[in-house]
Amino acid sequence: MIVALERRAIATWGRQYAALLRTAFLVDLQYRSSIVIWLFWGVTEPVISLGIWWAIAGGGAVDGYTRDAFARYFFGVALVNQATLTWDAWNIDRWIREGEMNYRLTRPLAPIHEAIADNIAYKAPTTTIIFLGWIVAAVFWPAVRVPFEPTRWALAILAIVLAAAIRFLNGYASGLLAFWTTRATALVELQFGISLFLSGRIAPLSLLPPGVVHVARYLWFPYVLSFPVEVLTGSVTTAAEYWRGFGGQLAWLVVWAALYLIVWMRGRRRYGAVGG
Amino acid sequence: MPNAIVATGLSKTYDVKVRDPGVGGAIAALARPRYRKVRAVADVSFSIERGHAVAFLGPNGAGKTTTLKMLTGLLFPSAGRAEVAGYDPWEGGNAFRRRIAFVLGNKQQLFWDLPPEETFRLNRAIYDVSLADYTARRAELIELLVLGHLIDKPTRQLSLGERMKCELAAALLHQPEVLFLDEPTLGLDLEAQQTIRDFLGTYRERYGATILLTSHYMADVTALASRVMIINRGRLLYDGELSALVARIAPIKRIELVLSEPTSRARLAEYGAVAHYAPPRATLEVPRETAATASTRLLAELAVADLSIQDPPIEEVIRIAFGEAEGEDEEPASRVDERRAPP
Repeated sequence: MIVALERRAIATWGRQYAALLRTAFLVDLQYRSSIVIWLFWGVTEPVISLGIWWAIAGGGAVDGYTRDAFARYFFGVALVNQATLTWDAWNIDRWIREGEMNYRLTRPLAPIHEAIADNIAYKAPTTTIIFLGWIVAAVFWPAVRVPFEPTRWALAILAIVLAAAIRFLNGYASGLLAFWTTRATALVELQFGISLFLSGRIAPLSLLPPGVVHVARYLWFPYVLSFPVEVLTGSVTTAAEYWRGFGGQLAWLVVWAALYLIVWMRGRRRYGAVGG
Repeated sequence: MPNAIVATGLSKTYDVKVRDPGVGGAIAALARPRYRKVRAVADVSFSIERGHAVAFLGPNGAGKTTTLKMLTGLLFPSAGRAEVAGYDPWEGGNAFRRRIAFVLGNKQQLFWDLPPEETFRLNRAIYDVSLADYTARRAELIELLVLGHLIDKPTRQLSLGERMKCELAAALLHQPEVLFLDEPTLGLDLEAQQTIRDFLGTYRERYGATILLTSHYMADVTALASRVMIINRGRLLYDGELSALVARIAPIKRIELVLSEPTSRARLAEYGAVAHYAPPRATLEVPRETAATASTRLLAELAVADLSIQDPPIEEVIRIAFGEAEGEDEEPASRVDERRAPP
């Protein structure tokens, strides 16, 4: 009886996600031109960083990073960043401020599922485009080739999925602060600024001052970009490094999931429901 | 008949930050924030039987929408309790949400860039409606709301009235037992208003749905609900039959005349108070109990081409009712406390 009920619940959940994904994909199709522009914009930052480090490295190396190593690293940054970027705080802020949260709260499905489906529908095709672009680049430019090692690639995919989940929950929970404050998105922008340094977006983490790296290790930033990129490009080699990286990802995933639940439940009680 | 909605002592109080005007006020508010308690809904109690339609009336900011939001589980009340379709709205979870629909006239759930059909399909999955039920209900809603030519067009290309009709269809595909409608005909043209009124009446009769609606259009109220609740400044002022309210507030009838021969204002005044005189048309106001006699005399003694007896416009009745309530309400109900910081 219980098994049958669970099966039915899973089937319903599967149909709900299929419908949410379908709708999100159809909406994205309507904005295909914008998506292409955003995609270029997303790639611009790692390309500029690569250009700068390429010039600095010259014919030698910077702390072990040659021009080729920088090229692989920033191709990895472009791919992982596309797969993990988050915009949900702005959506939630709008839903709450403009009353669009109302109908979402009267449906028998928590609004977070719509946001998850939006993320998957947008990121799966756009990340694939960047991946295909990387393959084309690798044909003409051997420096950006990453050896095909199925285990490492599988671990890289796992690390990217975990990183996307952490960043998503971080962005979503921060956005829910709009239940209390009109400055929720400013908090997300602040985190974005910090993440430029601490997640390894503008430089590989090992090139930052030791003190900064030490602080970063106790935060979630390295686990949402630097770690998946290093797994992908082969910089993570020892079992200890893998354990430390995945352990950190899982720990931060639990922390942000818990924070999401707390903010969600308290925020629901706090909700002012705009209008009237 | 069991009740579909029961509200007992429902209250909602907000903490609103108080700020003096200007830059100085803004800085002072940062340094020493002050809060004022604003009571949006105060001790509201009522019950609605299954299958009944009730209109919630009141001026802007009276507490109508806040009450609806508490009954739909969107807002947590500061005090009191409620039961809707057998559930506590704040504890009922998804089982409760499957039994209700909340349509807000000024907010839409339809995807702006996609045809309404896509929202229908999504709602079918979200509300877990079987394919057979979905197909039958979709066909019925398309027929009753005349949506056939609309559901394949992107929502952004639909008029406001067309969007509202599709919005209603999307909200009713799961066949809710209780419908909460907040200004469902707001800003629509007369034809669209009428279609929506006719549809809601049919839907209620056919499925025994309970409807609680707010509206600024009296035509919505008179067409859909025989019972009205009047709320002002968060307090329930009247709960009863619309006709009883009209009789109590305005114990007169209006006799609308079209005269076939010139008749002086003084001559007409022999039958009742002349409220309007623009020959050949005139309007007389007479006590309710003498309306029939006065009409008979008018038809017998004057050259009358047309005559009709009507209640005074409901807008006027409501305005008078609010006016009465304001007089009784010496302390502004909305401002109850002022203090330095919330608890």
